[in-house]
Amino acid sequence: MNDSMSIPHLIMNASLVVQVVMLLLLAASVASWVVIFQRSFALARAKKAQREFDERFWSGIDLNELYQDVPENHDAQGAEHVFRAGFREFNRLMPKTRSSEAVLDGVQRSQRVALSREEDRLNANLTLLATVASASPYIGLFGTVWGIMGSFQSLSMAQQATLSTVAPWIAEALVATAMGLFAAIPAVIFYNRLSSIASRLLGEYEDFAEEFHSILHRNLQGRGNSQSA
Amino acid sequence: MAKRTRRVGYGLPVVLAIGVHIVALLLTMLRLPESEPIPSSSSVVQATLVSDVTATDKAQYAKEAKARTAKRQAEEAAQQAAEQQAQEAAREQAEQQAAQAQAEQQAAADAARAEAQRRQQAAEQAAAERAEAARQQKAAEAEQQRQVQVQKQKAEAAKKQAEAEKQRQAEEAKKQAEAEKKREAEEARKKAEAEKKRKAEEAKKKAAAEAKKKAEAAAKAASQNALNDSIANEQERIANAQQSNQASNSFINLVKSAVEAQWHLPPNADGALVTQVRVRLGPSGELLAATVTRSSGNPSFDRSATQAVEAAAPFRELQQLDAGLQRRFRDFNLKFTPGDIQ
Repeated sequence: MNDSMSIPHLIMNASLVVQVVMLLLLAASVASWVVIFQRSFALARAKKAQREFDERFWSGIDLNELYQDVPENHDAQGAEHVFRAGFREFNRLMPKTRSSEAVLDGVQRSQRVALSREEDRLNANLTLLATVASASPYIGLFGTVWGIMGSFQSLSMAQQATLSTVAPWIAEALVATAMGLFAAIPAVIFYNRLSSIASRLLGEYEDFAEEFHSILHRNLQGRGNSQSA
Repeated sequence: MAKRTRRVGYGLPVVLAIGVHIVALLLTMLRLPESEPIPSSSSVVQATLVSDVTATDKAQYAKEAKARTAKRQAEEAAQQAAEQQAQEAAREQAEQQAAQAQAEQQAAADAARAEAQRRQQAAEQAAAERAEAARQQKAAEAEQQRQVQVQKQKAEAAKKQAEAEKQRQAEEAKKQAEAEKKREAEEARKKAEAEKKRKAEEAKKKAAAEAKKKAEAAAKAASQNALNDSIANEQERIANAQQSNQASNSFINLVKSAVEAQWHLPPNADGALVTQVRVRLGPSGELLAATVTRSSGNPSFDRSATQAVEAAAPFRELQQLDAGLQRRFRDFNLKFTPGDIQ
Protein backbone atom coordinates (compact mmCIF):
# COMPACT_ATOMS: atom_id res chain seq x y z
CA MET A 1 0.00 0.00 0.00
CA ASN A 2 1.89 3.04 -1.17
CA ASP A 3 1.04 6.69 -0.81
CA SER A 4 -1.28 6.84 -3.79
CA MET A 5 -3.44 4.21 -2.12
CA SER A 6 -3.90 6.00 1.19
CA ILE A 7 -7.48 6.81 2.08
CA PRO A 8 -7.14 10.64 2.11
CA HIS A 9 -5.38 10.48 -1.24
CA LEU A 10 -8.14 8.32 -2.65
CA ILE A 11 -10.80 10.70 -1.40
CA MET A 12 -9.01 13.67 -2.95
CA ASN A 13 -8.73 11.89 -6.31
CA ALA A 14 -12.33 10.73 -6.47
CA SER A 15 -14.78 12.13 -8.97
CA LEU A 16 -17.10 14.95 -7.97
CA VAL A 17 -20.21 12.81 -7.51
CA VAL A 18 -18.33 10.38 -5.33
CA GLN A 19 -16.88 13.26 -3.35
CA VAL A 20 -20.35 14.72 -2.81
CA VAL A 21 -21.59 11.32 -1.69
CA MET A 22 -18.68 11.06 0.72
CA LEU A 23 -19.37 14.52 2.07
CA LEU A 24 -23.02 13.59 2.58
CA LEU A 25 -22.02 10.44 4.39
CA LEU A 26 -19.57 12.34 6.56
CA ALA A 27 -22.34 14.79 7.50
CA ALA A 28 -24.72 11.93 8.22
CA SER A 29 -22.09 10.24 10.34
CA VAL A 30 -21.40 13.41 12.34
CA ALA A 31 -25.12 14.06 12.80
CA SER A 32 -25.75 10.50 13.89
CA TRP A 33 -22.95 10.70 16.41
CA VAL A 34 -24.29 14.01 17.71
CA VAL A 35 -27.67 12.36 18.18
CA ILE A 36 -26.07 9.31 19.76
CA PHE A 37 -24.26 11.38 22.37
CA GLN A 38 -27.13 13.74 22.99
CA ARG A 39 -29.65 10.95 23.37
CA SER A 40 -27.33 8.90 25.53
CA PHE A 41 -26.87 11.75 27.95
CA ALA A 42 -30.55 12.66 27.88
CA LEU A 43 -31.72 9.10 28.45
CA ALA A 44 -29.15 8.53 31.17
CA ARG A 45 -30.42 11.60 32.95
CA ALA A 46 -34.04 10.64 32.39
CA LYS A 47 -33.31 7.23 33.90
CA LYS A 48 -31.64 8.81 36.89
CA ALA A 49 -34.48 11.29 37.32
CA GLN A 50 -37.01 8.49 37.07
CA ARG A 51 -35.21 6.52 39.77
CA GLU A 52 -35.04 9.52 42.07
CA PHE A 53 -38.68 10.41 41.50
CA ASP A 54 -39.69 6.82 42.10
CA GLU A 55 -37.87 6.89 45.41
CA ARG A 56 -39.45 10.14 46.41
CA PHE A 57 -42.93 9.10 45.34
CA TRP A 58 -42.88 5.80 47.19
CA SER A 59 -41.15 7.22 50.24
CA GLY A 60 -44.62 7.98 51.67
CA ILE A 61 -44.48 11.71 51.05
CA ASP A 62 -47.75 13.60 50.87
CA LEU A 63 -48.81 14.07 47.27
CA ASN A 64 -49.76 17.73 47.80
CA GLU A 65 -46.37 18.35 49.27
CA LEU A 66 -44.75 16.57 46.37
CA TYR A 67 -46.77 18.58 43.93
CA GLN A 68 -46.00 21.93 45.53
CA ASP A 69 -42.38 21.09 46.11
CA VAL A 70 -41.34 22.32 42.72
CA PRO A 71 -42.15 25.73 41.24
CA GLU A 72 -45.17 25.98 39.02
CA ASN A 73 -43.44 27.22 35.89
CA HIS A 74 -41.00 24.35 35.97
CA ASP A 75 -41.36 22.04 32.98
CA ALA A 76 -41.29 18.61 34.56
CA GLN A 77 -40.16 15.53 32.68
CA GLY A 78 -40.85 11.85 32.74
CA ALA A 79 -42.89 10.31 35.48
CA GLU A 80 -42.90 13.61 37.34
CA HIS A 81 -44.54 15.24 34.34
CA VAL A 82 -47.18 12.52 34.26
CA PHE A 83 -47.74 12.89 37.98
CA ARG A 84 -48.01 16.65 37.86
CA ALA A 85 -50.34 16.64 34.85
CA GLY A 86 -52.59 14.08 36.51
CA PHE A 87 -52.53 15.73 39.91
CA ARG A 88 -53.17 19.19 38.46
CA GLU A 89 -56.15 17.88 36.54
CA PHE A 90 -57.34 16.07 39.67
CA ASN A 91 -57.06 19.21 41.74
CA ARG A 92 -58.86 21.27 39.14
CA LEU A 93 -61.68 18.80 38.61
CA MET A 94 -62.30 17.93 42.23
CA PRO A 95 -64.12 21.13 43.17
CA LYS A 96 -66.15 21.13 39.93
CA THR A 97 -67.65 17.70 39.85
CA ARG A 98 -68.73 15.14 42.34
CA SER A 99 -68.56 12.32 39.89
CA SER A 100 -65.45 10.30 40.55
CA GLU A 101 -65.72 8.79 37.09
CA ALA A 102 -65.49 12.18 35.45
CA VAL A 103 -62.51 13.13 37.63
CA LEU A 104 -60.69 9.90 36.86
CA ASP A 105 -61.49 10.26 33.17
CA GLY A 106 -60.05 13.75 33.14
CA VAL A 107 -56.96 12.62 35.05
CA GLN A 108 -56.46 9.72 32.71
CA ARG A 109 -56.79 11.94 29.68
CA SER A 110 -54.28 14.47 30.92
CA GLN A 111 -51.91 11.68 31.89
CA ARG A 112 -52.26 10.21 28.42
CA VAL A 113 -51.33 13.57 26.92
CA ALA A 114 -48.33 13.85 29.21
CA LEU A 115 -47.24 10.32 28.37
CA SER A 116 -47.47 10.97 24.66
CA ARG A 117 -45.40 14.14 25.14
CA GLU A 118 -42.84 12.15 27.09
CA GLU A 119 -42.75 9.52 24.40
CA ASP A 120 -42.13 12.19 21.82
CA ARG A 121 -39.39 13.62 23.92
CA LEU A 122 -37.69 10.30 24.51
CA ASN A 123 -37.80 9.29 20.87
CA ALA A 124 -36.83 12.69 19.57
CA ASN A 125 -34.05 12.46 16.92
CA LEU A 126 -33.98 8.71 17.11
CA THR A 127 -35.65 8.73 13.69
CA LEU A 128 -32.54 10.47 12.39
CA LEU A 129 -30.45 7.59 13.65
CA ALA A 130 -32.84 5.15 12.00
CA THR A 131 -32.64 7.05 8.73
CA VAL A 132 -28.85 7.18 8.77
CA ALA A 133 -28.68 3.51 9.69
CA SER A 134 -30.89 2.40 6.85
CA ALA A 135 -30.00 4.93 4.14
CA SER A 136 -26.26 5.50 4.41
CA PRO A 137 -25.22 2.06 3.12
CA TYR A 138 -27.31 2.73 0.04
CA ILE A 139 -25.84 6.17 -0.38
CA GLY A 140 -22.36 4.71 -0.07
CA LEU A 141 -23.26 2.00 -2.52
CA PHE A 142 -24.46 4.64 -4.93
CA GLY A 143 -21.09 6.37 -4.68
CA THR A 144 -19.30 3.10 -5.27
CA VAL A 145 -21.42 2.19 -8.27
CA TRP A 146 -20.91 5.63 -9.70
CA GLY A 147 -17.15 5.43 -9.18
CA ILE A 148 -16.91 1.98 -10.76
CA MET A 149 -19.03 3.20 -13.65
CA GLY A 150 -16.54 6.01 -14.19
CA SER A 151 -13.65 3.61 -13.91
CA PHE A 152 -15.10 1.35 -16.57
CA GLN A 153 -15.83 4.29 -18.81
CA SER A 154 -12.23 5.40 -18.59
CA LEU A 155 -11.10 1.82 -18.95
CA SER A 156 -12.78 1.58 -22.32
CA MET A 157 -10.16 4.04 -23.60
CA ALA A 158 -7.29 1.92 -22.36
CA GLN A 159 -6.05 -0.85 -24.58
CA GLN A 160 -4.63 -3.07 -21.94
CA ALA A 161 -6.69 -3.58 -18.83
CA THR A 162 -4.68 -4.96 -15.97
CA LEU A 163 -5.64 -5.15 -12.37
CA SER A 164 -3.34 -2.27 -11.58
CA THR A 165 -5.21 0.05 -13.93
CA VAL A 166 -8.59 -0.85 -12.42
CA ALA A 167 -7.48 -1.12 -8.82
CA PRO A 168 -7.14 2.60 -7.94
CA TRP A 169 -10.58 3.37 -9.33
CA ILE A 170 -12.23 0.54 -7.48
CA ALA A 171 -10.39 1.35 -4.26
CA GLU A 172 -11.50 4.93 -4.66
CA ALA A 173 -15.08 3.90 -5.28
CA LEU A 174 -15.10 1.47 -2.39
CA VAL A 175 -14.15 4.23 0.02
CA ALA A 176 -17.71 5.52 -0.41
CA THR A 177 -19.18 2.20 0.68
CA ALA A 178 -16.78 2.06 3.59
CA MET A 179 -17.88 5.49 4.70
CA GLY A 180 -21.54 4.51 4.35
CA LEU A 181 -20.95 1.52 6.57
CA PHE A 182 -18.90 3.62 8.94
CA ALA A 183 -21.91 5.90 9.38
CA ALA A 184 -24.52 3.15 9.39
CA ILE A 185 -23.07 0.64 11.85
CA PRO A 186 -22.95 2.90 14.94
CA ALA A 187 -26.30 4.36 13.95
CA VAL A 188 -27.91 0.92 13.88
CA ILE A 189 -26.33 -0.20 17.14
CA PHE A 190 -27.18 2.97 19.03
CA TYR A 191 -30.63 3.23 17.52
CA ASN A 192 -31.48 -0.19 18.89
CA ARG A 193 -29.91 0.52 22.24
CA LEU A 194 -31.40 4.00 22.68
CA SER A 195 -34.85 3.04 21.47
CA SER A 196 -34.88 0.08 23.85
CA ILE A 197 -33.92 2.37 26.74
CA ALA A 198 -36.58 4.87 25.68
CA SER A 199 -39.27 2.24 25.40
CA ARG A 200 -38.33 0.83 28.81
CA LEU A 201 -38.55 4.31 30.32
CA LEU A 202 -41.86 4.83 28.61
CA GLY A 203 -43.03 1.53 30.03
CA GLU A 204 -42.03 2.72 33.47
CA TYR A 205 -43.92 5.98 32.95
CA GLU A 206 -46.98 4.06 31.90
CA ASP A 207 -46.68 1.78 34.92
CA PHE A 208 -46.36 4.81 37.13
CA ALA A 209 -49.34 6.43 35.45
CA GLU A 210 -51.41 3.34 36.12
CA GLU A 211 -50.24 3.15 39.72
CA PHE A 212 -50.91 6.84 40.27
CA HIS A 213 -54.28 6.43 38.68
CA SER A 214 -55.07 3.57 40.99
CA ILE A 215 -53.94 5.67 43.99
CA LEU A 216 -56.22 8.49 42.90
CA HIS A 217 -59.00 6.04 42.28
CA ARG A 218 -58.55 4.60 45.75
CA ASN A 219 -58.47 8.06 47.18
CA LEU A 220 -61.54 9.09 45.24
CA GLN A 221 -63.41 6.00 46.25
CA GLY A 222 -62.67 6.76 49.90
CA ARG A 223 -63.66 10.39 49.43
CA GLY A 224 -66.75 9.51 47.47
CA ASN A 225 -67.67 7.05 50.17
CA SER A 226 -67.06 9.61 52.90
CA GLN A 227 -68.97 12.24 50.98
CA SER A 228 -71.85 9.96 50.22
CA ALA A 229 -71.79 8.62 53.67
CA MET B 1 -32.46 17.58 39.13
CA ALA B 2 -35.20 18.27 36.67
CA LYS B 3 -33.49 21.49 35.66
CA ARG B 4 -30.33 19.67 34.72
CA THR B 5 -32.30 17.15 32.69
CA ARG B 6 -33.78 19.99 30.75
CA ARG B 7 -30.39 21.24 29.79
CA VAL B 8 -29.14 18.31 27.76
CA GLY B 9 -28.14 20.46 24.85
CA TYR B 10 -26.26 19.79 21.62
CA GLY B 11 -22.98 21.53 22.39
CA LEU B 12 -21.18 18.71 24.09
CA PRO B 13 -22.55 15.99 21.77
CA VAL B 14 -21.38 17.94 18.72
CA VAL B 15 -17.90 18.26 20.17
CA LEU B 16 -17.84 14.58 21.04
CA ALA B 17 -19.12 13.53 17.62
CA ILE B 18 -16.48 15.58 15.84
CA GLY B 19 -13.92 14.15 18.22
CA VAL B 20 -14.98 10.63 17.32
CA HIS B 21 -14.53 11.39 13.63
CA ILE B 22 -11.16 13.00 14.12
CA VAL B 23 -10.01 9.99 16.09
CA ALA B 24 -11.24 7.67 13.35
CA LEU B 25 -9.47 9.72 10.72
CA LEU B 26 -6.29 9.77 12.77
CA LEU B 27 -6.44 6.01 13.10
CA THR B 28 -6.54 5.61 9.34
CA MET B 29 -3.78 8.19 8.95
CA LEU B 30 -1.63 6.69 11.66
CA ARG B 31 -1.71 3.30 10.05
CA LEU B 32 -0.22 4.59 6.86
CA PRO B 33 3.24 5.63 8.08
CA GLU B 34 3.54 2.24 9.73
CA SER B 35 2.71 0.30 6.63
CA GLU B 36 4.33 2.69 4.21
CA PRO B 37 8.05 2.30 4.76
CA ILE B 38 8.05 -1.42 4.33
CA PRO B 39 7.02 -1.61 0.71
CA SER B 40 8.50 1.69 -0.39
CA SER B 41 11.99 1.03 0.90
CA SER B 42 13.60 -0.33 -2.18
CA SER B 43 16.59 -1.51 -0.22
CA VAL B 44 14.41 -4.13 1.35
CA VAL B 45 13.21 -5.28 -1.98
CA GLN B 46 15.89 -6.99 -3.94
CA ALA B 47 15.02 -7.65 -7.51
CA THR B 48 18.21 -8.81 -9.10
CA LEU B 49 18.99 -9.86 -12.59
CA VAL B 50 19.88 -13.50 -12.44
CA SER B 51 20.80 -14.13 -16.00
CA ASP B 52 20.02 -12.27 -19.11
CA VAL B 53 20.48 -15.39 -21.14
CA THR B 54 17.78 -17.98 -20.92
CA ALA B 55 17.87 -21.54 -22.03
CA THR B 56 15.90 -21.04 -25.20
CA ASP B 57 18.03 -18.24 -26.51
CA LYS B 58 21.33 -19.61 -25.46
CA ALA B 59 22.01 -21.05 -28.86
CA GLN B 60 21.26 -17.74 -30.48
CA TYR B 61 23.46 -15.87 -28.11
CA ALA B 62 26.19 -18.44 -28.55
CA LYS B 63 25.92 -17.94 -32.29
CA GLU B 64 26.08 -14.24 -31.84
CA ALA B 65 29.04 -14.51 -29.59
CA LYS B 66 30.68 -16.80 -32.11
CA ALA B 67 29.96 -14.35 -34.88
CA ARG B 68 31.37 -11.57 -32.74
CA THR B 69 34.48 -13.50 -31.95
CA ALA B 70 34.78 -14.55 -35.60
CA LYS B 71 34.57 -10.96 -36.63
CA ARG B 72 37.15 -10.03 -34.10
CA GLN B 73 39.31 -12.87 -35.22
CA ALA B 74 38.89 -11.82 -38.82
CA GLU B 75 39.99 -8.37 -37.90
CA GLU B 76 42.89 -9.75 -36.01
CA ALA B 77 43.65 -12.06 -38.90
CA ALA B 78 43.59 -9.14 -41.28
CA GLN B 79 45.95 -7.29 -39.07
CA GLN B 80 48.10 -10.31 -38.72
CA ALA B 81 48.00 -10.86 -42.43
CA ALA B 82 49.16 -7.32 -42.96
CA GLU B 83 51.90 -7.85 -40.49
CA GLN B 84 52.77 -11.12 -42.08
CA GLN B 85 52.82 -9.50 -45.44
CA ALA B 86 55.20 -6.92 -44.15
CA GLN B 87 57.28 -9.61 -42.55
CA GLU B 88 57.12 -11.66 -45.71
CA ALA B 89 58.21 -8.70 -47.71
CA ALA B 90 61.10 -8.22 -45.37
CA ARG B 91 61.86 -11.91 -45.52
CA GLU B 92 61.56 -11.83 -49.27
CA GLN B 93 63.95 -9.01 -49.38
CA ALA B 94 66.30 -10.85 -47.11
CA GLU B 95 65.86 -13.92 -49.19
CA GLN B 96 66.43 -11.98 -52.29
CA GLN B 97 69.51 -10.53 -50.80
CA ALA B 98 70.61 -13.97 -49.72
CA ALA B 99 69.80 -15.31 -53.16
CA GLN B 100 71.72 -12.52 -54.65
CA ALA B 101 74.61 -13.23 -52.38
CA GLN B 102 74.35 -16.87 -53.26
CA ALA B 103 74.11 -16.04 -56.89
CA GLU B 104 77.14 -13.89 -56.50
CA GLN B 105 78.97 -16.63 -54.72
CA GLN B 106 77.83 -19.11 -57.28
CA ALA B 107 78.80 -16.83 -60.03
CA ALA B 108 82.16 -16.31 -58.42
CA ALA B 109 82.57 -20.04 -57.98
CA ASP B 110 81.44 -20.60 -61.52
CA ALA B 111 83.86 -18.07 -62.71
CA ALA B 112 86.61 -19.65 -60.68
CA ARG B 113 85.68 -23.05 -62.00
CA ALA B 114 85.57 -21.79 -65.54
CA GLU B 115 88.91 -20.16 -65.08
CA ALA B 116 90.37 -23.33 -63.66
CA GLN B 117 88.95 -25.26 -66.57
CA ARG B 118 90.24 -22.76 -68.93
CA ARG B 119 93.61 -22.87 -67.25
CA GLN B 120 93.59 -26.59 -67.38
CA GLN B 121 92.67 -26.46 -71.01
CA ALA B 122 95.35 -23.96 -71.52
CA ALA B 123 97.77 -26.14 -69.61
CA GLU B 124 96.78 -29.15 -71.65
CA GLN B 125 97.08 -27.16 -74.78
CA ALA B 126 100.37 -25.93 -73.58
CA ALA B 127 101.48 -29.47 -72.77
CA ALA B 128 100.36 -30.65 -76.18
CA GLU B 129 102.12 -27.76 -77.80
CA ARG B 130 105.12 -28.42 -75.73
CA ALA B 131 105.05 -32.06 -76.76
CA GLU B 132 104.70 -30.97 -80.32
CA ALA B 133 107.43 -28.50 -79.76
CA ALA B 134 109.56 -31.27 -78.34
CA ARG B 135 108.74 -33.35 -81.33
CA GLN B 136 109.44 -30.43 -83.52
CA GLN B 137 112.66 -29.82 -81.56
CA LYS B 138 113.60 -33.37 -82.28
CA ALA B 139 112.89 -32.69 -85.85
CA ALA B 140 114.71 -29.41 -85.50
CA GLU B 141 117.60 -31.14 -84.04
CA ALA B 142 117.58 -32.80 -87.25
CA GLU B 143 117.11 -29.62 -88.93
CA GLN B 144 118.48 -26.64 -87.02
CA GLN B 145 116.73 -24.27 -89.28
CA ARG B 146 113.56 -25.83 -88.46
CA GLN B 147 114.69 -25.79 -84.90
CA VAL B 148 115.12 -22.13 -85.02
CA GLN B 149 111.82 -21.99 -86.71
CA VAL B 150 110.44 -24.23 -84.00
CA GLN B 151 112.06 -22.00 -81.44
CA LYS B 152 110.61 -19.09 -83.20
CA GLN B 153 107.33 -20.89 -83.36
CA LYS B 154 107.72 -21.79 -79.78
CA ALA B 155 108.39 -18.24 -78.84
CA GLU B 156 105.53 -17.24 -80.97
CA ALA B 157 103.36 -19.88 -79.37
CA ALA B 158 104.48 -18.76 -75.96
CA LYS B 159 103.79 -15.25 -76.94
CA LYS B 160 100.47 -16.29 -78.36
CA GLN B 161 99.73 -18.23 -75.29
CA ALA B 162 100.66 -15.37 -73.14
CA GLU B 163 98.64 -13.11 -75.31
CA ALA B 164 95.71 -15.49 -75.27
CA GLU B 165 96.01 -15.88 -71.63
CA LYS B 166 96.19 -12.19 -71.16
CA GLN B 167 93.27 -11.73 -73.42
CA ARG B 168 91.32 -14.44 -71.64
CA GLN B 169 92.09 -12.94 -68.32
CA ALA B 170 91.05 -9.56 -69.54
CA GLU B 171 87.93 -11.03 -70.98
CA GLU B 172 87.24 -12.88 -67.84
CA ALA B 173 87.76 -9.83 -65.79
CA LYS B 174 85.52 -7.95 -68.12
CA LYS B 175 82.91 -10.66 -67.94
CA GLN B 176 83.14 -10.82 -64.24
CA ALA B 177 82.86 -7.11 -63.98
CA GLU B 178 79.95 -7.13 -66.34
CA ALA B 179 78.23 -9.90 -64.45
CA GLU B 180 78.82 -8.15 -61.22
CA LYS B 181 77.54 -4.91 -62.62
CA LYS B 182 74.51 -6.65 -63.96
CA ARG B 183 73.93 -8.38 -60.72
CA GLU B 184 74.30 -5.17 -58.82
CA ALA B 185 71.92 -3.43 -61.15
CA GLU B 186 69.48 -6.24 -60.79
CA GLU B 187 69.85 -6.19 -57.09
CA ALA B 188 69.32 -2.50 -56.96
CA ARG B 189 66.32 -2.86 -59.17
CA LYS B 190 64.95 -5.63 -57.04
CA LYS B 191 65.64 -3.71 -53.92
CA ALA B 192 63.98 -0.68 -55.33
CA GLU B 193 61.06 -2.77 -56.42
CA ALA B 194 60.75 -4.40 -53.01
CA GLU B 195 60.98 -1.07 -51.34
CA LYS B 196 58.38 0.34 -53.65
CA LYS B 197 56.14 -2.60 -52.97
CA ARG B 198 56.64 -2.31 -49.29
CA LYS B 199 56.01 1.40 -49.37
CA ALA B 200 52.88 0.86 -51.38
CA GLU B 201 51.75 -1.77 -48.96
CA GLU B 202 52.50 0.40 -46.04
CA ALA B 203 50.63 3.25 -47.61
CA LYS B 204 47.73 0.94 -48.32
CA LYS B 205 47.81 -0.36 -44.79
CA LYS B 206 48.00 3.08 -43.37
CA ALA B 207 45.12 4.18 -45.54
CA ALA B 208 43.12 1.16 -44.48
CA ALA B 209 43.91 1.77 -40.82
CA GLU B 210 42.98 5.37 -41.21
CA ALA B 211 39.79 4.49 -43.00
CA LYS B 212 38.95 2.04 -40.26
CA LYS B 213 39.70 4.58 -37.59
CA LYS B 214 37.64 7.11 -39.42
CA ALA B 215 34.76 4.66 -39.76
CA GLU B 216 34.95 3.88 -36.08
CA ALA B 217 34.97 7.56 -35.22
CA ALA B 218 31.99 8.07 -37.50
CA ALA B 219 30.16 5.18 -35.86
CA LYS B 220 30.94 6.58 -32.46
CA ALA B 221 29.76 10.00 -33.48
CA ALA B 222 26.56 8.50 -34.81
CA SER B 223 25.73 7.08 -31.41
CA GLN B 224 25.50 10.45 -29.84
CA ASN B 225 23.40 10.05 -26.76
CA ALA B 226 24.87 8.98 -23.52
CA LEU B 227 23.04 5.71 -23.37
CA ASN B 228 24.37 4.60 -26.71
CA ASP B 229 27.83 5.67 -25.75
CA SER B 230 27.64 3.72 -22.60
CA ILE B 231 26.23 0.81 -24.52
CA ALA B 232 29.04 1.05 -27.03
CA ASN B 233 31.40 0.88 -24.10
CA GLU B 234 29.34 -1.94 -22.82
CA GLN B 235 29.66 -3.75 -26.10
CA GLU B 236 33.36 -3.57 -25.79
CA ARG B 237 33.07 -4.93 -22.35
CA ILE B 238 30.84 -7.68 -23.63
CA ALA B 239 33.53 -8.45 -26.08
CA ASN B 240 35.73 -8.92 -23.11
CA ALA B 241 33.08 -11.36 -21.96
CA GLN B 242 34.06 -10.96 -18.36
CA GLN B 243 31.88 -8.09 -17.29
CA SER B 244 28.66 -8.81 -19.09
CA ASN B 245 26.73 -8.15 -15.91
CA GLN B 246 28.13 -4.67 -15.69
CA ALA B 247 27.35 -4.16 -19.29
CA SER B 248 23.68 -4.81 -18.80
CA ASN B 249 23.51 -2.53 -15.80
CA SER B 250 22.11 0.63 -17.25
CA PHE B 251 19.03 -0.90 -18.80
CA ILE B 252 18.58 -3.53 -16.15
CA ASN B 253 18.85 -0.92 -13.45
CA LEU B 254 16.09 1.01 -15.11
CA VAL B 255 13.95 -2.11 -15.26
CA LYS B 256 14.82 -3.00 -11.70
CA SER B 257 13.96 0.36 -10.24
CA ALA B 258 10.72 0.50 -12.20
CA VAL B 259 9.74 -2.96 -11.05
CA GLU B 260 10.71 -2.26 -7.45
CA ALA B 261 8.62 0.87 -7.44
CA GLN B 262 5.61 -1.12 -8.50
CA TRP B 263 6.20 -4.06 -6.25
CA HIS B 264 3.77 -4.39 -3.39
CA LEU B 265 4.84 -7.12 -1.08
CA PRO B 266 2.06 -9.32 0.15
CA PRO B 267 1.67 -9.08 3.91
CA ASN B 268 2.62 -12.68 4.56
CA ALA B 269 5.90 -12.57 2.62
CA ASP B 270 8.94 -13.45 4.68
CA GLY B 271 12.59 -13.07 3.88
CA ALA B 272 13.20 -16.60 2.72
CA LEU B 273 11.08 -16.36 -0.40
CA VAL B 274 12.75 -16.28 -3.79
CA THR B 275 10.87 -16.04 -7.03
CA GLN B 276 12.34 -15.98 -10.48
CA VAL B 277 10.30 -14.31 -13.17
CA ARG B 278 11.08 -14.58 -16.83
CA VAL B 279 10.32 -11.34 -18.65
CA ARG B 280 9.86 -11.21 -22.37
CA LEU B 281 9.57 -7.88 -24.10
CA GLY B 282 8.36 -6.78 -27.49
CA PRO B 283 10.53 -4.72 -29.82
CA SER B 284 9.31 -1.42 -28.40
CA GLY B 285 9.66 -2.55 -24.81
CA GLU B 286 6.09 -3.65 -24.25
CA LEU B 287 5.60 -6.65 -22.06
CA LEU B 288 4.80 -9.86 -23.90
CA ALA B 289 4.88 -12.20 -20.96
CA ALA B 290 5.99 -12.35 -17.36
CA THR B 291 6.03 -15.91 -16.17
CA VAL B 292 7.26 -17.45 -12.98
CA THR B 293 10.10 -19.76 -13.82
CA ARG B 294 10.98 -20.66 -10.28
CA SER B 295 8.22 -20.41 -7.75
CA SER B 296 8.82 -19.40 -4.16
CA GLY B 297 6.06 -21.72 -3.03
CA ASN B 298 4.00 -18.77 -1.94
CA PRO B 299 1.48 -18.08 -4.71
CA SER B 300 0.60 -14.60 -3.54
CA PHE B 301 4.28 -13.68 -3.47
CA ASP B 302 4.74 -15.04 -6.98
CA ARG B 303 1.72 -13.10 -8.13
CA SER B 304 3.01 -9.92 -6.56
CA ALA B 305 6.26 -10.33 -8.49
CA THR B 306 4.57 -10.82 -11.85
CA GLN B 307 2.18 -8.00 -11.08
CA ALA B 308 5.09 -5.72 -10.31
CA VAL B 309 6.59 -6.48 -13.70
CA GLU B 310 3.25 -5.96 -15.39
CA ALA B 311 2.77 -2.67 -13.62
CA ALA B 312 6.24 -1.45 -14.48
CA ALA B 313 5.87 -2.30 -18.19
CA PRO B 314 6.33 -1.02 -20.83
CA PHE B 315 10.08 -0.43 -20.77
CA ARG B 316 10.37 2.14 -23.54
CA GLU B 317 14.08 2.55 -22.88
CA LEU B 318 14.62 -0.63 -24.81
CA GLN B 319 14.14 1.27 -28.04
CA GLN B 320 17.17 3.40 -27.31
CA LEU B 321 19.45 0.42 -27.18
CA ASP B 322 21.46 -1.02 -30.02
CA ALA B 323 19.87 -3.72 -32.08
CA GLY B 324 22.11 -6.40 -30.66
CA LEU B 325 21.53 -5.33 -27.09
CA GLN B 326 17.83 -5.03 -27.77
CA ARG B 327 17.69 -8.63 -28.73
CA ARG B 328 19.72 -9.43 -25.69
CA PHE B 329 17.29 -7.69 -23.35
CA ARG B 330 14.15 -8.91 -25.00
CA ASP B 331 14.26 -11.91 -22.73
CA PHE B 332 15.67 -11.91 -19.24
CA ASN B 333 15.04 -13.26 -15.78
CA LEU B 334 14.39 -11.29 -12.64
CA LYS B 335 14.85 -12.67 -9.17
CA PHE B 336 12.59 -11.36 -6.44
CA THR B 337 13.62 -11.62 -2.83
CA PRO B 338 12.11 -9.65 0.01
CA GLY B 339 14.57 -8.20 2.43
CA ASP B 340 15.38 -9.48 5.86
CA ILE B 341 13.01 -7.10 7.59
CA GLN B 342 9.81 -8.92 6.81
